[in-house]
Amino acid sequence: MPKFIPPTIVQKEPICALATPPGKGALAIVRLSGKNAYAIAKNITHESLLPRRAHYTAFYDANDGIIDQGLATYFQTPSSFTGEDVIEFHCHGNPLVAELLLKTLCCLGARLATPGEFSLRAFLNNKIDLAQAEAIADLINSTTEQAARTATRSLQGAFSERVNSVLTQLVQMRMHIEAHLDFPDEEIDRQQTTQLCKQLTLLEDFLDELLQQAKLGERLQTGATIAIAGKPNAGKSSLLNVLAQSDVAIVTEIPGTTRDPLSADIEIQGVAVRLIDTAGLRETKDIVEAKGIERAQQALAQADLILWLTDVSSDDSQAIPKEIDVNKVITVHNKIDLQEASSLNDNENIYISAKNHTGIDELIAQLALRLLGENVLSENGDTPFLARNRHVIALQNAQQHLRSAQQRLSSANELELAAEDLRIAQQNLGVITGAFTPDDLLGKIFSEFCIGK
Amino acid sequence: MTSKDQQYDVIVIGGGHAGTEAALAAARMGAQTLLITHNIETIGQMSCNPAIGGIGKSHLVKEIDAMGGVMALAADQGGIQFRVLNSRKGPAVRATRAQSDRVLYKAAIRQQVENQVNLQIFQQAVDDLLIENDCICGVVTQSGLTFSAQSVVLTTGTFLGGKIHIGNDNYSAGRAGDPPAITLAKRLRELSLRVGRLKTGTPPRIDGRSIDYSQLEEQPGDTPTPVFSFMGSRELHPQQVSCFITYTNETTHEIIQQDLRLSPMYNGNIDSTGPRYCPSIEDKVTRFAERNQHQIFIEPEGLQTHEVYPNGISTSLPFETQQKFVRSVKGFENAHITRPGYAIEYDYFDPRDLQPSLETKAIQGLFFAGQINGTTGYEEAAAQGLVAGINAVRRTQEQDAWVPRRDQAYIGVMIDDLVTSGTIEPYRMFTSRAEFRLLLRQDNADLRLSEMANELGCLPAKQWQAFSEKREALETQQQRLKSCFVQPGEMGAEVEEKILGKKLKHEYSMYELLRRPEVDFEKLQQLSKQDFSSIPSTVKEQLEIQAKYAGYIERQNLEVEKLSHQEEVKLSPDMNYAAINGLSNEAKQKLMEIKPHTIGQAARISGITPSTISLLLVHLKSKPVQKIAS
Ligand SMILES: Nc1nc2c(ncn2[C@@H]2O[C@H](COP(=O)(O)OP(=O)(O)OP(=O)(O)O)[C@@H](O)[C@H]2O)c(=O)[nH]1
Ligand SMILES: [Mg+2]
Repeated sequence: MPKFIPPTIVQKEPICALATPPGKGALAIVRLSGKNAYAIAKNITHESLLPRRAHYTAFYDANDGIIDQGLATYFQTPSSFTGEDVIEFHCHGNPLVAELLLKTLCCLGARLATPGEFSLRAFLNNKIDLAQAEAIADLINSTTEQAARTATRSLQGAFSERVNSVLTQLVQMRMHIEAHLDFPDEEIDRQQTTQLCKQLTLLEDFLDELLQQAKLGERLQTGATIAIAGKPNAGKSSLLNVLAQSDVAIVTEIPGTTRDPLSADIEIQGVAVRLIDTAGLRETKDIVEAKGIERAQQALAQADLILWLTDVSSDDSQAIPKEIDVNKVITVHNKIDLQEASSLNDNENIYISAKNHTGIDELIAQLALRLLGENVLSENGDTPFLARNRHVIALQNAQQHLRSAQQRLSSANELELAAEDLRIAQQNLGVITGAFTPDDLLGKIFSEFCIGK
Repeated sequence: MTSKDQQYDVIVIGGGHAGTEAALAAARMGAQTLLITHNIETIGQMSCNPAIGGIGKSHLVKEIDAMGGVMALAADQGGIQFRVLNSRKGPAVRATRAQSDRVLYKAAIRQQVENQVNLQIFQQAVDDLLIENDCICGVVTQSGLTFSAQSVVLTTGTFLGGKIHIGNDNYSAGRAGDPPAITLAKRLRELSLRVGRLKTGTPPRIDGRSIDYSQLEEQPGDTPTPVFSFMGSRELHPQQVSCFITYTNETTHEIIQQDLRLSPMYNGNIDSTGPRYCPSIEDKVTRFAERNQHQIFIEPEGLQTHEVYPNGISTSLPFETQQKFVRSVKGFENAHITRPGYAIEYDYFDPRDLQPSLETKAIQGLFFAGQINGTTGYEEAAAQGLVAGINAVRRTQEQDAWVPRRDQAYIGVMIDDLVTSGTIEPYRMFTSRAEFRLLLRQDNADLRLSEMANELGCLPAKQWQAFSEKREALETQQQRLKSCFVQPGEMGAEVEEKILGKKLKHEYSMYELLRRPEVDFEKLQQLSKQDFSSIPSTVKEQLEIQAKYAGYIERQNLEVEKLSHQEEVKLSPDMNYAAINGLSNEAKQKLMEIKPHTIGQAARISGITPSTISLLLVHLKSKPVQKIAS
């Protein structure tokens, strides 16, 4: 047998994490380490990074929308903190930006690092000297404990109950499918494929709902982005200034004042919100303005919510352009001070005057409703759970595999592939609850069915 | 001192399925090997039901076959009814089963054993093991003969401390009719190995002439008849016969219920654990009382005997009750029982005291294989025998042990399960035990293992050549599929519409087309001018499976790769876990108990968390000396 000789540096699966303390510093550093780190960074920056050189560049998301601008530095193996290929992204200190960047990295094949994992890799690759070993051990211990504590806290109540309930149902389904596969000769009451499909649909719906709630929970943790858009001169910059309660943006009566997207961070009902003011949308020959409009459109594509601002005193058409996802839109009718007749707000239409600050409270209430759903109305303001980004990713993965299982099940020949999808779905949910020990599927089969001819 | 002609490299004790594969593997590798059995006539005997293979088990058989073992070939020579189970499901869960003529099967094994170079047989019971400084150096037989060897493989099956129960009667025994190996059992109990007790049961055998077959459901074998061995062929098969199916009924259940207190399992005479997947009929009627019938699968014992094996009614009830309930079954009204059913209790050694090589942790050079390790089934036994035989030889050559990983073979899954988790009931293979099930198919056992077998020196040259040819054909055809394109309308648009549901819009590689669920080679042939008729059918099958499973295979491979780092970090058996900073007491205790061989194995111990693994890695690194292990 050829004996395996490990190379001095083993590049493991790529991991990423925020390297600076969470919160709103001026600067955040996101670190990426492992196999393919360079290729992933190329996807993010659209640039071929040179080792040990800080590149000023844009950071793109999976749809080529710009997340932020900042510095990217490539540390080539073995000359890096972990010894693997490492990329450091320096972005703005806003937690939303860092989260977005991490999300994109995860889409590109990295996963979020566990506590102490960077240090651990550094240590295993001889990057940290031996004396520090004990310190790392302590770190791993304390951080995992802390993470576990936070996890159990955030998993208390509704969320963990629901994830566990999905898990139980999943295990039950797997038990039936495995019984089909391992005991085809036995006379046992196996569930038929149609029944399993039905169950799977229910489970998918359940997971869907859970995912929505997790996303909501995640929003509480990580905040949301709201973009203000509209025709030139609708009063977008004025609204930004009102909501931010400071003169962030230049306001003039000249259409086309705002060029680069401008942002301000505010808080709505405990949710961190990044407001983005964008260039007014119109046909233009001005190159600079056209570039601004391009960026505006990118910002709109990424935003969680869009305030489509109209000027009630204008006679021009102010219809929502078809590129904009109307599901994310609240139409805000501005300058009602210039109009006699008053109109009534509803979920999609809010009437304000940015000049006189009328209707602003109503607008904020509507935003809160959209961001937090019905929960905002509950007395104690308790949200169902505080989900983390990794929870959302795990739920999404699980969901994707449930869908795939559904597809495989409907064609009877692919029961073993459905089984594989369900196994992975369960693995993903296990990541959330921290269930490491495999379930005794066979034990369940034997206790439920009379096996043994 | 033993004379020169009593010196061997490897001694194998026991001539069952584990013993024969162990001895044959060792001898194939060139080691001077001695197989000692208390009775040469029982070599290759099927002591339980007369079938080889089945789901999970046939995967093991094909793997043994791919390693040059003999079980599959003997099944081809002795098989009197062949079926592919799960034939309508995907390839990963398909399995072959061969009902076997006991006499023909045994003869096939005996022939292999007798004709194997480097292998000698000796008949006598072994009473003692010669151990010096915790190293094995030989064995002593009943009459005081001594044989010496650096490696000894113990495969003594149910003979160890066996006790048979029929009703309230019980007596010491091996398999029905064989003497128990009490002296050796006593000797082994003195060693520092943990011993447990298990039980299993058999049904009464019935004279087929007393069965009214006209009342039973017939189950013929598959046509075309499946072939078991990679080196086998249909021409090897003897005459084919059918199996039959009947059912118990409410009267049967009443009879059993009435006499339940006479069953040693229910009156406390037996308290050891039986297999949950093979419950006695007493168990079935009690635990699943709502069922008004249970299936009985009637397996022929052979072509030259009338005796049949009614699988599904294993029992330890008194003989009179057995007769009463058997005769209440449809078709069995006049059944004559030729041998009563019984339950047998026996010793097994906790497999957590074994290294993955199947060498005992306590005694260097002493290997255990088969039922002695808490498993059940011929296939499980044979697979362990193979591994123990190989490693017994490697031990004498001071080479690293060979153990397939969980992603390489069911054999690896079984061994890892046993040495990591132990077992509380007789361990049997199921496909659901293998997380990499889609990679571990019976159809690709040769592709997974034959190259390794060749490197280890246990693959016959003829088999290596046949395998190499197949693999080459596979690679050539795979290239061809990827580089040849089907043009739209190549064979007419109607054919495309008929097969694919719509016309081809642009050219497609053959591989892309084959990946579609509705396309197989036959359809591909209709779509293309290329000629596929010269490709061997096994190669076609393999190409189809690889194309259809491609996405899933890739994902499982990624998972394997992710875990492989953990498998490559070795842990020393001398590691003092108690002294590792930061480990929880539970983790320390479990690690001390199992003494895992790799970080990967440690991670599979129940209750070991990822942070424990991180701490272990840190510890290993800070004490680099301990990184080198066995
Ligand atoms: N009467 C009235 N005037 C307003 C109101 N809101 C904004 N304006 C005026 O409308 C003009 C344009 O305001 P901005 O906030 O710069 O508009 P904008 O949409 O950002 O314009 P661009 O950046 O050029 O696209 C300014 O003169 C504002 O003072 C309002 O509620 N009432
Ligand atoms: Mg503006």
